[in-house]
Amino acid sequence: MGTSEDEEGLDILQRRVPAPGPGNAVVVAAACAVTAVAAATFAVAVLTGASVALQGIALAAALAGLALAVRRLAPAVFPHVETAEDRDAPEGSDVPLSDVEPVGRRPLLRRVLVAAGGVVGLALLAPLSALRPPRAEAERGTGWARGTRLVMPTGEPIAADDVPPGGIATVFPSDGVGREIAAVLLVRLSGVAPADPTRLDWMVGDDLVAYSKVCTHAGCPVGLFRERTSTLFCPCHQSSFDAARGATPTFGPPSRPLPQLPLAVDGEGYLIAAGDFGGPVGPAVG
Amino acid sequence: MLDTLDERVALRRPARHLANKVFPSHWSFLLGEVALFSFMILVATGVFLTMFYRPSTAPVVYTGTSAIYAGRELPEVFASIVRLSHDVDGGLLFRRIHRASSHVFIGACIAHLLRVVLTGAFRRPRELNYLIGLTLLLLAVGSGYSGHNLPYDVLAGTSLRILYTLLLSVPYLGEPLALGAFGGEFPGDIMPRLFVVHVLALPGLIAGLMTVHLLILGRQTHTQLPRTGIDGAQRVVGEPLWPWQAARSTGLALGLGATVALSAALVPWSDVDLHGPFEIAQTTNTAQPDWFLFWVEGVLRIYPPIEFHVAGTVVSGPLVGGVLLPLALVALGYAYPFLERRRHPEPGDHHVAQHPLQIPFRAGAVAGVVVLLVLLTLAAGNDVIARLLGLSTESVLWAFRIAVPLAPPLAAWGAAAHARAQGRRWT
Repeated sequence: MGTSEDEEGLDILQRRVPAPGPGNAVVVAAACAVTAVAAATFAVAVLTGASVALQGIALAAALAGLALAVRRLAPAVFPHVETAEDRDAPEGSDVPLSDVEPVGRRPLLRRVLVAAGGVVGLALLAPLSALRPPRAEAERGTGWARGTRLVMPTGEPIAADDVPPGGIATVFPSDGVGREIAAVLLVRLSGVAPADPTRLDWMVGDDLVAYSKVCTHAGCPVGLFRERTSTLFCPCHQSSFDAARGATPTFGPPSRPLPQLPLAVDGEGYLIAAGDFGGPVGPAVG
Repeated sequence: MLDTLDERVALRRPARHLANKVFPSHWSFLLGEVALFSFMILVATGVFLTMFYRPSTAPVVYTGTSAIYAGRELPEVFASIVRLSHDVDGGLLFRRIHRASSHVFIGACIAHLLRVVLTGAFRRPRELNYLIGLTLLLLAVGSGYSGHNLPYDVLAGTSLRILYTLLLSVPYLGEPLALGAFGGEFPGDIMPRLFVVHVLALPGLIAGLMTVHLLILGRQTHTQLPRTGIDGAQRVVGEPLWPWQAARSTGLALGLGATVALSAALVPWSDVDLHGPFEIAQTTNTAQPDWFLFWVEGVLRIYPPIEFHVAGTVVSGPLVGGVLLPLALVALGYAYPFLERRRHPEPGDHHVAQHPLQIPFRAGAVAGVVVLLVLLTLAAGNDVIARLLGLSTESVLWAFRIAVPLAPPLAAWGAAAHARAQGRRWT
C-alpha cells in the first residue's frame, strides 16, 4: 500500500541524489560533440559511397556517444529513486464484464450461429489449393527414358570421352535441363574395377557409370568425387557412396544407394539413357 | 506542447501511470529489452532492404559495379542482393546490420527464455506469457531461417533443399506438403513465398505477439528477486520507468545500435562475394545453416543409416531427426510449466524468483535439454572437430552417436541430484 497520500504517486523506498563528478558536464558535452561529428561523417560517408568500414564506425561512434551522454546526463538531472509497485489482484467473478444484461438465452440459435461461422472458416481454406503446383508438373516422373540424350547444364550433348579418367560431370535429360530430381552424375572410374552391385551392362565401357546426383539422405547434390577411393561425397551431411560398387553407402546417414542410370551410346556417338533409374531417386517420401 | 496534446487526448493520467511503472534493476531483466530493440533495428533496416529486393529467380544480366559479378547472368534475386551490397548507398551497411541484429535477436530471445525458466518466472500466473514468449522465439527462428535463404546463394539453395526433404518425409502428407509449400517440385516457386513470409507474415506476427506479451507484462508486473523486508508476492521493487529506467533503456538501445553498426564495419556478415548464386544440383563444401539451427544439421549428420517401412509409410532419418525431434522439443517447451506443476504442485500465484537449483526437476530438465542441443550443435561440426583433434571423422561421428542418447539423461540426472544435494534457495 502506497505510503504517499496521492494514490497514483510513487511509493518511494529510497531516494538518493547522486553527486556527479566535476568532469561530468565535460563528458556529456564531449560525447555530444563526438556524436555530432560522427553523425555528419556517417551521412557524408553514405552519400559519397565511402567504405562500409567508415560508415559503420561513424554510425557506431554517433550512437555510442549519444548513449554515453544519456547515461551521464540522467543522474545530473534526476535523483535516483527506488520504488515499489503493488501487484493488481484479480477482482473475481463478481465484477461483471459488461453492464448490459441479456434478456434471453436462445442456446440452440447460438449453436447454429457458431456452426455457420465454422462453415465459413472451413470454406475459406479452399483457396489454399492455389498453393498447389499445376497437376501436370506433379506427375512428370524423373524425365529419363530409353533414348533420352544426356546433356550438360549448357544443353550440349556429351560423349563418353568427354569425361576424363577419375573425372565427373553433371548432366540432365535433354528435355529437362535444370530439373533437380533428374540430375545425374557421370563418373569415370580410374584404377578400380567396378563390382557388384554395380550393373555392368548399364555402363559404357568398363569405367563410365552414371548415378542420380540427388543424395538419398536429405536430397543435397552429391557433388564431390574422391578418385583415390572411388567415393562419391555429399558435403551437407557427409554421406559417402562407393562409385565402384553401385554407389552403396559407405559412411554417414544414408541407407540407400544412389540409383544407377542405364547408359548407352547413340548413332552419333553421344551418351543416351537406356531406361529410367534402377531405383527410387532422392530422399524418402513419407 | 505536452499540454496541448493533453487537452486533446487526455494524456496526463495514463502517461503518469506509465512513467511510474516499476522496472527491476537486475541486468537479467534487460534481456527481453535487448530482443525488443534488436527487433526494432531489424524492422527499420528490413524496410530499407525490402525496397531493393527482387524475389524472382529469372535470369538477368547484372550490370553494376561488383567486379566479381559485373556482366554475369544471375538469378534476379541474387543480382538484387549484389546490387544492394555494391551499388545502393548504405545498402551493404544496412544488410550487415540487419544480419548482425538477427543474431542478437535470436540470442537475446534464448537468453531471456533461460532467465524465465531458471528463475521459475513461467509459473502461475505467467504461464500464458511464457507460451507467447516461446512462440515468439519460434517465430524469430523462422524469421532467421527464411532471411538466411532470401539471398538465393548456394547456402540458401542447399538449406531450402533440405527443408523440401523434411517436408517430403512427413508420413502420408509428404508430397502434398512439399509441393504445396514450394509450389512445385524443388525449387518450385519458393522465393516469392519465402519473401512474403519473411517481410510480412512473420514480422507482423512477431510485432503483434510482442505487443500482447508486453501488455500482459504490464498487467502482471515483473517477478521480484527475493529481498528482506519486501513481500515479493504483493509488490515489485525497482526504478520507475521515468527517468532512470528510460535513460537506461535508451542507453541500451543506442549501445546495441552502436555494437551492431561497429560489427558491420568489422565483420562481413553474409558476404555476397563469398558464396555464388544457387544453381540447380550445385552445392558447396561449407554448406551450413545459421548457428541456431546447427543442432538440426547435427542430428541429420549423426542419425544412423536406418530407414524402414511401416504402416504404408517410411520412417527415415530426416523424418526422425529433422521433423519429429524438433517437434518433440517444441512440445516439451510448451508443456513444461504444466509438467513441472504436476510434479511439484504448489497452489496459488508465484511472483518471487527462485534459485536456479531450487527445483531439482527443473534443474534436470534444463540441463538435459541444454546438453542435448549443445551436443547436436557440436555434431554439426564433426568434420571440423575431427580436424582439430587429429581424429578420423568416422570416430568423431561414432562418439556423437554414442554421446547424444546417453549424455543428456546423465546430465539431467546429475543436475537434479546436485540441486537436491545443494538444497539452494533464495528464500
